[in-house]
Amino acid sequence: MRSTLEDGLRALRNATELAKSIHPTVDEEYLEWILEIEARPENQSGSDKTWVWHAQQVFLSVFKSVRGPFKP
Amino acid sequence: MGDRFVTADFDLFLPLDPDNLITAWACCETVGLELWLGDEPLDRPRDRWLAERIVERRIMTLITGPDDLRVDLTLVMKGFTFETVWAERRVFKIEGIDVPTARLLHIVKSKEAAGRDKDRLFLATHREGLERLLKRTESE
Repeated sequence: MRSTLEDGLRALRNATELAKSIHPTVDEEYLEWILEIEARPENQSGSDKTWVWHAQQVFLSVFKSVRGPFKP
Repeated sequence: MGDRFVTADFDLFLPLDPDNLITAWACCETVGLELWLGDEPLDRPRDRWLAERIVERRIMTLITGPDDLRVDLTLVMKGFTFETVWAERRVFKIEGIDVPTARLLHIVKSKEAAGRDKDRLFLATHREGLERLLKRTESE
């Protein structure tokens, strides 16, 4: 089934409404998870994050060619 | 490796220092990037007088460049001062270059404080991602 511009706009409107209804709390559990992730060896100063940069470039290059209402 | 959040732009958090801001502007110009205040090109001369006004008003400078590059030179990180964030930074390497990075904890807390729609979406999605990542690690 082909998507139309109206489908895309409707999806955007729905996402906007959804965002208004989301009220996540940064509670103790969330903070503990963050500290656990931060404590990992790969997240210490000096770690090489080049892969993140490359992955980001690949992701964006893929979506750059996407046309239509769902283009980010 | 876990979930990855892709952003269309990059945020560079700068101190409230006009001289530093002038240096940042000059660096961008040197490599051919364009500087904007909202929809308008950043005024010239890009001198200390202008930088002081920008710092006073905590205005963000938008940088654009090739391949849809978009960088925000921001003077505000909700809930935090530059000094606090800088003191606890992590320095990661990207292609051999040191990149000082704010702590994830500070980023999350700042987004919670800002409370915009897009921040709430980030927090909810990020929380799910963290949970999946940690559970996956436990099961390995």
